[in-house]
Amino acid sequence: MRRRAVIQMIGIGFLAGIVTGGVAFFIPWLPDQASEEAKAIDAAYWFVVIICAVIFALVAGVSLYSCWKFRAPPDDEDDGSPIHGHTGLEIYWTAVPTILVTAMAVFSGFALAAAEDLPDKHGTIQVTAQQFAWSFTYPELDRTEGELVLELDKPMQLVLTAKDVIHSFWVPEFRMKQDAVPGVETTVPITPIKLGTYDVICTELCGLGHSVMRARARVLSAEDYAKWAAGDSGDSAETTTGEGGDTSTEGR
Amino acid sequence: MAVAAPQTRHAEHEGPPVRPTGRRRWTAGGWLRVAWIVPLAFLLVPVLVLALRHWLSYPSSPFSVLNPLDDSGWNDDFWRFAKQDLQPLITTWTVVVPFAFLAGIGGFDYWAYWISGRPTRPEDHSGHGARTWRDYFRVNTDHKVIGIQYVVTTIIFFIAGGLLAMFLRAELAKPGMQIVDPQGYNGLFSVHAALMIFLFIIPAFAGLGNYVIPLMIGAPDMAFPRLNALSFWLLPIAGLMMLSSYLVGPFAAGWTNYVPLAVQQPEGNLFFQMGVQWAGASSILTALNFLVTIITMRAPGMTFWRMPLLVWANFATSTLVVIATPFIAGSQFFILFDRVLHTNFFDAGEGGYPLGYQHIFWFYSHPAVYIMMLPGFGIVSEVISVFARKPIFGYRLMALSLMAILILGFSVWAHHMFVSGMAAWLRVPMMVTTMIIAVPTGIKVFSWLATLWEGRIRFKTPMLFALGFVSMFVIGGLSGVYLGSIPIDIHTSDTYFVVAHIHYVLFGGSLFTIYAGFYYWFPKMTGRMYNEALGKLHFWLTFIGFNATFFPMHWIGVRGMPRRVADYDPQFANWNLIISIASFFLGASTLVFLYNMLVSWRSGEPAPGNPWRALTLEWQVSSPPPVFNFDEIPQVVGSPYEYGVRGARHAVLNGAPTTQGREAAPMEESVP
Amino acid sequence: MASVAHAPEHDHHGPPAANVSSRVDARLLGIYIFIASEVMLFGSFFTAFFFARIIVPNETWPPEPFELPVYLALINTIILVTSSFTMHWALQSIKRNYRAGLIAGLTLTFLLGLTFLLIQAREYTRIGFAPKDLAFGSSFFGLTGLHGMHVFVGLNLLLYALIRSIRGHFGPKAHDHLGVEIPGIYWHFVDVMWIIVYVTVYVI
Ligand code: HEA
Ligand code: HEA
Ligand code: CUA
Ligand SMILES: [Cu+2]
Repeated sequence: MRRRAVIQMIGIGFLAGIVTGGVAFFIPWLPDQASEEAKAIDAAYWFVVIICAVIFALVAGVSLYSCWKFRAPPDDEDDGSPIHGHTGLEIYWTAVPTILVTAMAVFSGFALAAAEDLPDKHGTIQVTAQQFAWSFTYPELDRTEGELVLELDKPMQLVLTAKDVIHSFWVPEFRMKQDAVPGVETTVPITPIKLGTYDVICTELCGLGHSVMRARARVLSAEDYAKWAAGDSGDSAETTTGEGGDTSTEGR
Repeated sequence: MAVAAPQTRHAEHEGPPVRPTGRRRWTAGGWLRVAWIVPLAFLLVPVLVLALRHWLSYPSSPFSVLNPLDDSGWNDDFWRFAKQDLQPLITTWTVVVPFAFLAGIGGFDYWAYWISGRPTRPEDHSGHGARTWRDYFRVNTDHKVIGIQYVVTTIIFFIAGGLLAMFLRAELAKPGMQIVDPQGYNGLFSVHAALMIFLFIIPAFAGLGNYVIPLMIGAPDMAFPRLNALSFWLLPIAGLMMLSSYLVGPFAAGWTNYVPLAVQQPEGNLFFQMGVQWAGASSILTALNFLVTIITMRAPGMTFWRMPLLVWANFATSTLVVIATPFIAGSQFFILFDRVLHTNFFDAGEGGYPLGYQHIFWFYSHPAVYIMMLPGFGIVSEVISVFARKPIFGYRLMALSLMAILILGFSVWAHHMFVSGMAAWLRVPMMVTTMIIAVPTGIKVFSWLATLWEGRIRFKTPMLFALGFVSMFVIGGLSGVYLGSIPIDIHTSDTYFVVAHIHYVLFGGSLFTIYAGFYYWFPKMTGRMYNEALGKLHFWLTFIGFNATFFPMHWIGVRGMPRRVADYDPQFANWNLIISIASFFLGASTLVFLYNMLVSWRSGEPAPGNPWRALTLEWQVSSPPPVFNFDEIPQVVGSPYEYGVRGARHAVLNGAPTTQGREAAPMEESVP
Repeated sequence: MASVAHAPEHDHHGPPAANVSSRVDARLLGIYIFIASEVMLFGSFFTAFFFARIIVPNETWPPEPFELPVYLALINTIILVTSSFTMHWALQSIKRNYRAGLIAGLTLTFLLGLTFLLIQAREYTRIGFAPKDLAFGSSFFGLTGLHGMHVFVGLNLLLYALIRSIRGHFGPKAHDHLGVEIPGIYWHFVDVMWIIVYVTVYVI
């Protein structure tokens, strides 16, 4: 009897595990991985996903099994078995999660360090956010543009600040996000590893034009970058801020 | 604790209260007094404010630009200035008019007697119990009446907040702007969240607690019944205030209301600041009342280790409320001052630190998420134990883990600020504490599962919601753990992944437990049974609609859709459409609930005293309970969860242990 | 409606007396919890103050060219501390059923508190900066203003207690002078809070 119960439960847990695992692994969750930093972040992501998927499968399995197995017959008036607790079990389910949580925290800590680790030899770009546009200043080129242009495999330090309210810099493919705060300088490292054009998205509510506060991020090969740096602005001179760009703040 | 001599109270009961007649009706506390005192206050405020500003010769006072010789001044400059300067006016209104209302309705009458040194009238209990439906619209000091007032009021605000969400989803159904402008959209989700949090989840728990806690601990009422009534009446004020922001354009900086954006917003923002103050005052006063009641009014034999877990949960929550809520009061005062008095608390150009606001805000608002969850844990513990017919597994650890969450909850606020640019060293410690909260929460989840084990589970509606809660909350909690990991949060912060987390913990968590509580205590509160089939239908529709609405949000969030956007990239169009359709389905499922509650309240089957065969004290009296709860204070003799233990009892009432409850109380009048 | 069915049939007079499960009086416990909440409210204002002062680098404090009237405020501090003693005396008096002492003590406390408030108002008008002058000015006026509000509320409570003591409503039994004790506890809290405000804002 007991043996059968265990087998049944493992069966249900297995099913729950398959479903959870399927959702976790067969849906394309993450966008393209286009930066060095993204690797560290994705590693942390998958590490946590695996632990959490197991936990969810366990909880779902046990509760489904109990609901099915211990349901009361219609006219039943009886009580369940008077189990008040079990110290051993309670110690287990305090200790095991503690270990798992510690593991996730340590792993995340290392991943964070890896993501934010920037080689000493890196360039700098000054990013200024304002309602509702981005501007990127390239100190080495002494130029300010409405788009972010990066060279493949070249580590860059973006130094962010804002003119009016808080904005936030995010490129999903780079995985990196950082608020731009008026009066405060914040930094975010980016080392692009994949050619392409991506969206810079503002993710901190900044007013009317928040949803259209976007800019373009282009990752160019070394030759193209040199060309661009030499003054050939390519097809990308103007900002892509959308209609909210010049509407200043309302009210007041 | 020591059992001291019983407290004596004045006890002259004079039957139904005598209502004043004739002219005195206009001066006695009630709606008639409100009808003249509120408009009066409303008119007095501008006179006072403008006169004061004129007297202080503020350059921006409209009177200062008024040229008495030129009547066109009235038309142009005066109104231009008046409009520009609405802020002091609105602020004063939002402070003064509520006081006028409270004074009008009679919330201060007793204290006014006390203050003026007149002999206070002996308590005649005229404010106790409800005799007609009209009594629900009066200041009533009976905790049971107040509990019902709370519950009904909060459901109304839930509908309001939910309808805003429906507009929000309608706008998002297609990329581009269709039904509102961007500021209007920002207003939608800001008011939606503010109503849901401050006027639904938090006070709904307070209302349920109000109804059942005195009963559960064997007390005739709360410790401070008049304060209790006052706390309730603060609530509609706060809610109407937030809704009335629509008169001048709703507040639209999110419920987090970050500076500097909040300072830059139009006048509507003031309504959030003041609404939060009134709602906050209400919850602090209620929490204080709970704490004092639980500490000083337990029945003999009801030691802390014999209290039902719901009481424990409210004890922990109330402590959180009392300690944390002043921080949001402070944070909103700062913005209010910045706006109205032109102070510069957080202005970087003026020596302020913009992120300081966020620290202060989250020091409240993270604990607030546990304010919105711990009472739910309590409800679920009751429901699961009763419907699995088993003692709650690991009772003491369940109580202790509540306290652990309470304490840990104060050490994690900065996980909302991982990408804000705050002090970098603060991040890793906060990540560790954030993750550790999973441990006490896990203890609770596993103990509920173990309570199901070898139980005799009955799938009544409250139980369905409790079981739905366990699984949905685990999804929400685990996505919280994702967010707690800094590298993952860097990517997912401020995306729809967070929106999904919010709704899994708040809807799948808090709201499911509230539904469980509503169904579970419905017979006790109304004296009638709800319709079980409709209840189950409601559960399944909600469960499906909820997952269909909010699960895909995880995905679109991780893929790159930021939150709080009125418009979005067309690549997310299909999923948003699906989500919107699912959300309408979810909204419609609420109709089943409302229908069931209304119809059953009017004409449901009469409920027996103890339909669930529960052991806790509230079920040992009739449904609804007598005005003063117990004819005689019960004597508690054991744990509240001794299901399946032969001969075990929780309490002795009127000399006889009861587990089956008394006869049903038929209803004579109903509320339309 | 909930209790409709029962209203007519309950024939006993009033509720059964609640069991008292704690040695602390409910009302005293209530005011202590309330004060805990108030302490946190001050905490949020102190937090704002510390952000302006410590997190943002300042060369001097108070920032140039502002100055704080440290000695005037010290006099004010002494006034408020004295009022705590008179409050204590008033309570002790009623405990010994000495009504004149109660009335005198409350009157003195009230007048001292009022003096404090008036001096502070005068300080505000002469201080040389306004709430809008830097985060410094904002948090200075924020903290002292919040405290001033509390003094104002405290004065009200004292006034009510005074009215009732003149009418002879209090007695020596613990239960009969809660109406003095509770405003007193609040007043001591306001006083202690001022000492903290004074030390952090003016002295350090
Ligand atoms: C009821 C409300 C509620 C609850 C209970 C929680 C619970 C948790 N929340 Fe959530 N949270 C919100 C409401 C809530 N949250 C809201 C409203 C926001 C958005 C605010 C805004 O910006 O508007 C938010 C945002 C939010 C963020 C910030 C995201 C961002 O903006 O970048 C983070 C980051 O750490 C976070 C984490 C957590 C964690 C770790 C928990 C934990 O307490 C969860 C613990 C539970 C479990 C983990 C599941 C059960 C446990 C087990 C089965 C044991 C085994 C598990 C492990 C070993 C992992 N939450
Ligand atoms: C307890 C809290 C709670 C609850 C219950 C809900 C319920 C819902 N929420 Fe809300 N939500 C929040 C708390 C909550 N939300 C918070 C804190 C935020 C963050 C805000 C911010 O960023 O500042 C948020 C943000 C938020 C967003 C993100 C906005 C953005 O970032 O741009 C969305 C988008 O879909 C959303 C949708 C919904 C929906 C569809 C429901 C539905 O479940 C509602 C269902 C209920 C009803 C519809 C009402 C009753 C029904 C009827 C009267 C029937 C008639 C109706 C029809 C037939 C349609 N919510
Ligand atoms: Cu800038 Cu949002
Ligand atoms: Cu949090």
